[in-house]
Amino acid sequence: MDRNQLKKWFKSPAKMGHKYSLHVIYFCTGCGIIEIPPSITTRWDAERFGIIPVATPRQANLFLITGYVSVKTLKPIIRTYEQMPDPKFTVGFGSCPINGGMYWDSYNTIKHLDKYIPIDGWIAGCMPRPEAIFIAVTHLWTLIDKEMADGYKKYRENYKYYRANQEQLYGKLEWPPLFAGKDKK
Amino acid sequence: MSISNGVNIWEIILSPLIALIIGIFFLGLARKIIARIHWRYGPPITQPVIDIIRMFSQKGISHGFIFDIGIILSLTGSFIVILFLPLGKMCPLSSGGLLAILYLMLLAPLGIALSSGEAANPNSSIGISRKFLLALGYEVPLLLILLAVMTHYNTISLIEIVRIQSTTGWSFGSLPLLLSGIAYFLILPAILGIRPFEVVGAAQEISSGPNAEFGGKFLAFSTIQHALHEFIGISLFVNLFLGGWGLFGILEPITNTVWSVIFGIIIFFIKMLIVFIVELFINAVFPRFRIEQAVRYLWKWPTLFAFIGLIVVVVVK
Repeated sequence: MDRNQLKKWFKSPAKMGHKYSLHVIYFCTGCGIIEIPPSITTRWDAERFGIIPVATPRQANLFLITGYVSVKTLKPIIRTYEQMPDPKFTVGFGSCPINGGMYWDSYNTIKHLDKYIPIDGWIAGCMPRPEAIFIAVTHLWTLIDKEMADGYKKYRENYKYYRANQEQLYGKLEWPPLFAGKDKK
Repeated sequence: MSISNGVNIWEIILSPLIALIIGIFFLGLARKIIARIHWRYGPPITQPVIDIIRMFSQKGISHGFIFDIGIILSLTGSFIVILFLPLGKMCPLSSGGLLAILYLMLLAPLGIALSSGEAANPNSSIGISRKFLLALGYEVPLLLILLAVMTHYNTISLIEIVRIQSTTGWSFGSLPLLLSGIAYFLILPAILGIRPFEVVGAAQEISSGPNAEFGGKFLAFSTIQHALHEFIGISLFVNLFLGGWGLFGILEPITNTVWSVIFGIIIFFIKMLIVFIVELFINAVFPRFRIEQAVRYLWKWPTLFAFIGLIVVVVVK
């Protein structure tokens, strides 16, 4: 952890700010949310790394999808992701968002979440323990340092691909494209 | 740099800057102390600064012209109130006194209300209506308290009130103003917007209320405004009831020097710190009122204390 190295702060304040002020919006789709209260309260205390839960996607910069994603809940996930302001990171938590997990043969569960929104990292396990969240966060710090956590850039560049996948699932979406200028090209 | 009727340009620059540093320090201290009360390690004390840097580096989403202007208006309003408040021996603008402060204190919530109203988020609308209801709740006792103080000292000038206290002792310790002081202490959590009066920015109920649509630099401005607002509420209490820069006359030998200004600020800061930590303990142990419970409480006990305090002041005079 290089939070106290002032030289790095002067060199790239934005990057360091993103590393040590991860405000999380949790999407509690399934049982994964049960691991969140211990990690943000007394037992594991995520706040010492600057990680706090926030109430609205506008204030957040980390999106944690905890639990399986059904076809119905994918729509709010896309809308929440699109509402977050721009340098934003997404992490899938648990086996279910990765490949369906125990719902691998369900007709109603999304097996490839990263076809619809870009995911920067995954936490495997069913359930992952709260320590796994902290390991994921340290990995995310490394990714931010190397500028590899660029899901939001990928979403902007390949918006046509993501939008086509979303529309393939739902037919016509009721909100206009996020990057209208890019889509026309 | 001593107190004078002329406007000093250094004071106009330094006073908001010191207020901003103290306010942001208080935000960090609050998170650390609350964490220690929860038996957690807690974030570093510089965490609000890190958050503000992060928010400024994010891309904020604007909802229109009023959305941009409203948050600037509230920030400006807070800075102007700070220019009217004595910070130790520094007070850049002194004309108008308490009446100007009372009038300008309404600018900050008004700006936030304009800004969040433009965003048209239902949670923001609920937050704004709660904010104004709560303001209605604590403005009644606040007016009675200020009336009692102004009647007792026969002046509307805050500098004059602080100066008289440095010779006659703190007004919190004097018998006629004791009830008014208790009433102000009771409404101070409502002014600061902390528990048990955290009805406005209730994250669990209404998605942090008026802040619900703020992201990026708007959230950073809102956080800075919150820090300044905490400074205003506590420093008004310290100035009115705890004697401002006065501390048993230890600044007497060095009056009219630069050192008296510096030590005045330090003494003022220590007094603010003590009041703030006591309020934090109240914040840590209490749950949240509903809005109608909060208004009922504010119109019952603090108003009763303030009213009796006013009558006592008038009778003693």
